[in-house]
Amino acid sequence: MRDSDALENNPHVSRSALEAIHGQLYGWALSRCDFDHATAEDLMQQAYVELLSGNARFDNKSTLKTFVFSVVQNLARSRFRRISSRLRLVKQYTEDSVTDAVEPTTNDEVWRAVRALPARQRDIIELVFCREFTVQQAAAVMGVSTGTGRVHYDRAKKALRSRLQDWAEET
Amino acid sequence: MQDSKDTLRDAVNSAFKSAAGHRQASFERLWQKAEQQHAASRRRYRCFAGTAATAAAVVIALNLHTPAEQDAYIEIAELLDSTYWSAPSDVLLPDREFDIYQDLPVLFESTEPAEGALL
Repeated sequence: MRDSDALENNPHVSRSALEAIHGQLYGWALSRCDFDHATAEDLMQQAYVELLSGNARFDNKSTLKTFVFSVVQNLARSRFRRISSRLRLVKQYTEDSVTDAVEPTTNDEVWRAVRALPARQRDIIELVFCREFTVQQAAAVMGVSTGTGRVHYDRAKKALRSRLQDWAEET
Repeated sequence: MQDSKDTLRDAVNSAFKSAAGHRQASFERLWQKAEQQHAASRRRYRCFAGTAATAAAVVIALNLHTPAEQDAYIEIAELLDSTYWSAPSDVLLPDREFDIYQDLPVLFESTEPAEGALL
């Protein structure tokens, strides 16, 4: 069935469906580029161009949300492969120096624990906890098997719990 | 266990929201910019395709207008006047070449006499 506002080159994608998931997608794009809003907007715009042109063609094999999230993930991977690690290090350093100077709040501590996770564990935690994906869908977005996704998810939860417990005992 | 998971989920969710800040990109604005970028790239593609088609048409037209090779005959007077001679153009050669053994299989000689002579 073709929606009235379906895209010309992507008949299974409608503008209204994209608008409905825009907020969550923007959050995902933000975390792809270390919470730099200008870069995230650029990434989102590029993802929409890919959908408009039909370069990224949705064929109903997954949910639209999973598909669009993986488009953003792939675009981010190809754009930031070289600079992301350096950018993350710089951000980590500046954030650490800022948070060390002030009294840490729970949010800060949780955030530091999340940032300390390996990239894939952090991604799956974000997708499942914040973007309302199942582990299976999150694994599809990340381009890994469901089994691998589950392993990352379990390890991430354990690591987070352990770090937060340590922090709670210290304070 | 479920409570612990929910607590963790809420804490992570809250930390992500806090890191992302309150600024939210407008869908309308991003969509409009994406449409403009898409339209611009289509215009560029059409322009490129148009230029390529025009160039191809010009090349074909130029090839069509190259003058055909003219028939030329050997002038006896010219041959006698000069020691220089160049081979005639291939245009003067017959269109069809035939193999005498394949195309004329019947021998001219015959052993059948006709009115006192062999055919």
